[in-house]
Amino acid sequence: MSAAEHQDFWPLGGPVDKARIALIIIDMQVDFCAPGGWIDQLGEDVSNTRAVIGPICEAVDAARAAGITVIHTREGHVGDLSDLNANKQWRTRVHGLGIGDSGKNGRILVHGEPGWQIIPELAPLPGELVINKPGKSSFHRTELAAELENRGISRLVVAGVTSDCCVQSTVRDGYEHGIECVLLEDCTAAVESPNHAATLEILKAYGGRWGGVSNRVAFREMLDRAGD
Amino acid sequence: MIEMNNTLFKPIAAKPYLWPFDGKWSATDTALLLLGFQEATVAVLDANAELSVANSLLKVASAAGVTIVAARRGYGPDEHPLATRRRLLGDPIPERGSADWALIAQIGLPPGAIIVDCAGDNAFFGTRLEETLRQRGIRNLLVTGLPTDGLVHATQRAANDMGFECLAIADACKGTSQARHDAQLRITTFGNGLFGTVATSADIHAALSSL
Repeated sequence: MSAAEHQDFWPLGGPVDKARIALIIIDMQVDFCAPGGWIDQLGEDVSNTRAVIGPICEAVDAARAAGITVIHTREGHVGDLSDLNANKQWRTRVHGLGIGDSGKNGRILVHGEPGWQIIPELAPLPGELVINKPGKSSFHRTELAAELENRGISRLVVAGVTSDCCVQSTVRDGYEHGIECVLLEDCTAAVESPNHAATLEILKAYGGRWGGVSNRVAFREMLDRAGD
Repeated sequence: MIEMNNTLFKPIAAKPYLWPFDGKWSATDTALLLLGFQEATVAVLDANAELSVANSLLKVASAAGVTIVAARRGYGPDEHPLATRRRLLGDPIPERGSADWALIAQIGLPPGAIIVDCAGDNAFFGTRLEETLRQRGIRNLLVTGLPTDGLVHATQRAANDMGFECLAIADACKGTSQARHDAQLRITTFGNGLFGTVATSADIHAALSSL
């Protein structure tokens, strides 16, 4: 890959020091993307979200090898559901099994339950930052913005699920915070393919109004060329 | 004497569910958001039809006592990095105070309307909009604006995370393309309304005139 293409990983170019870059893996939890998790129990197809586990593992390996900050998020709510909006709970209960209800892997999206855990393939290593989030955006009512600022991180490489939901919210909010985001399109997926395609088209439009879109191979090559 | 403001409006047959989720909305707990109806944006998106629809909703909602919020996108001295990034990508965020930035002349805001100035695409970010709405007891939001895939969707996503019950009015919003407009509204409603609901202005007019 040429130097010019390398520049294209970031919509407005690089190079960037590794110390300023983090990889964030969004909501790769049992409830969202494992057999027996919430989405699977609802009878929805988790094959799209499971298909990106391998590619995300490769991106995480590259990030760990390069020594950049790795961040994981978990969507969920405290046991008494005091951080769960009434309309959010109501919408999920229409499906017959809502947030806070008991399923095959414990209470749906409740802290500490088996279904809320990150899938074993992508388990965080000791020392990696894990953000518990009550909303779709990883920045909403979390310490993420403060953690990034404290660590001097200004660029976020984004992977995880689902592209149309929490991933899109996180990229959009990253932009608002002045964080330059790039989504790895081969490391994200949605349950509904048309929504996934539309999300990528919207994020790519106009050269990336909220951030860029790239892939795990370009990510690894960008890291290889980045300074410390 | 009847306190009209607390009178419940009829729920709206929105997609994907009858809005609001608990069936209760009145002038006292509802705001109409007019996002980005600014001189340059209306012109660039050729959005006079959507502006006309929003204006008609504004008159009816305002007469019913619904809180009105207008958001203006623009940059001031504190927002240069965000604006600079977008301008490098060809998105001309207007400077505050410029003719391009002004709310379009056809929008006649009533006295007491809330005006929000944001630098990005989320009218809640870096503004006091959330606390202003909460202080007034507002929990339901009717959303109109430009573009659907920018200010409208970013603001509705944030509002939804905050627990506001949102309804996007499809014919009072226009995207940077028809496909993006349609896609963002579809993404709004998937998963039984992960980000709220979508209806048309006719549905809102019918509900507001049902008292």
